[in-house]
Amino acid sequence: MIRQFGWNEFELLVFAARWTIVLAIIAFVGGGIGGLIVALLRTADSRVARTAMIVFIRVFQGTPLLMQLFLAYFGMAIFGFSVNPLIAAMIALTAHASAYLGEIWRGCIQAVPHGQTEAAKALGLHYFARMRHVVLPQAARIAVPPTVGFLVQLLKETSLTSIIGFVELTRQGQIITSVTFRPFLVFGLVAAIYFAMCWPLTLVARWMERGMARATNR
Amino acid sequence: MNALKNALAIVVGVGLMLAGSLAGADTLQDIQSRGTIKVGMLVDFPPYGLMNEQNQPDGYDADVAKLLAPDLGVKLQLVPVTGPNRIPYLLSGQVDVLVASLGITPERAKSVDFSEPYAAITIAVYGKDDEKITKPADLAGKTIAVARASTQDTAVTKVAPPSATIRRFDSDAAALQALMSGQVPLIGCSNVCYLTIQKLAPGKFNKKFELSSQVQGIAVKPGEQNLLARINQFIDKIKANGELDKINEKWLGEPMPAVLKKK
Repeated sequence: MIRQFGWNEFELLVFAARWTIVLAIIAFVGGGIGGLIVALLRTADSRVARTAMIVFIRVFQGTPLLMQLFLAYFGMAIFGFSVNPLIAAMIALTAHASAYLGEIWRGCIQAVPHGQTEAAKALGLHYFARMRHVVLPQAARIAVPPTVGFLVQLLKETSLTSIIGFVELTRQGQIITSVTFRPFLVFGLVAAIYFAMCWPLTLVARWMERGMARATNR
Repeated sequence: MNALKNALAIVVGVGLMLAGSLAGADTLQDIQSRGTIKVGMLVDFPPYGLMNEQNQPDGYDADVAKLLAPDLGVKLQLVPVTGPNRIPYLLSGQVDVLVASLGITPERAKSVDFSEPYAAITIAVYGKDDEKITKPADLAGKTIAVARASTQDTAVTKVAPPSATIRRFDSDAAALQALMSGQVPLIGCSNVCYLTIQKLAPGKFNKKFELSSQVQGIAVKPGEQNLLARINQFIDKIKANGELDKINEKWLGEPMPAVLKKK
């Protein structure tokens, strides 16, 4: 019954990582767009918008991603919507990432001195121009480290999607372990592959931070 | 996280059960009109369910499913499920039936309907040769590894004295690794898992006492009487014509156990 761990098994692990990458990209893109909307509404003048976003953030930060995935997939199926697991993962990961990124970026927007907004208003800039040219560029600089920290964490959290049937890196590791009985080797490799995906992210972050620091130090 | 997953599976399972009983559709008709049966099976439970070298689901359960689909005159779609999520998969209708090494227990029979048994496993406590353990009370103060949410988990939890520590792992393989590496002296697992232990470390571990002999059934959503009757007819057929014997020989190295023969 025991199978040797060979090149074939290694390939299976590497191929499984493509699901990790696909899911991470979905989460990054969905969360990036959603998070920006959440952050802007969270700092908007409208009280209704602010309250709605606080509720959204509390709900999705206060419940486990595992449960969100579970409900998005199995919960919707009960009501007669047979959801594709990919759609379910997309919904859950986007909502989860939007809540966190929205709150991170809200903090960054509010960290930009209020005088900047007032000065922009005095110059007659409207909301979009003010955000686009004055507030967001300054907020972006302080947003890089916490954003990348969250994205790295999110990439690893995609392993939770195995509950709705994705055979991504971690799950493939479990499956291979069950036939090869070599957990140290398999999970060691799984960890190394995760590292190979996360490290470039932190490198990009450092590069972006340097670039932005140069832009403001001039 | 593990406790959370279990709690979640129970909460959602109950919800799904209620919803399932309201739906009241006939799955057998659905399967026939669709022309495909979706069968949920484990892929991390060799030799019953595993992924072969081609990364396709294989094993005892897969072979049974491969006989079931043509018997119903439909195509087979194997859906890999995990121990904790297999019942939600069934109750939410993501799969039509589970051929997922699901041991028939009274607790599980409350949430799913079981067919006649199609497979059997003996579950026992195994451990290092020098551990003097012959009955559950001897587990006092000992640490024992099990695969979480498995039948052996339930069995060990039930008989172990309060001073015993039960270490729950994600799979038999992980529990086995804990035993091999000396993190735990004892393991609750099946005869199948013990075959692996003997291969990896011949003569170092032996059987302490038997917990139960567990029969496994094909599971359907509660109230699916037509589908269940059809599946029982199928199981009777493969028991009678020797096909189930062949599957037992192929994966377990012995003919169909006696416990499956009696009605």
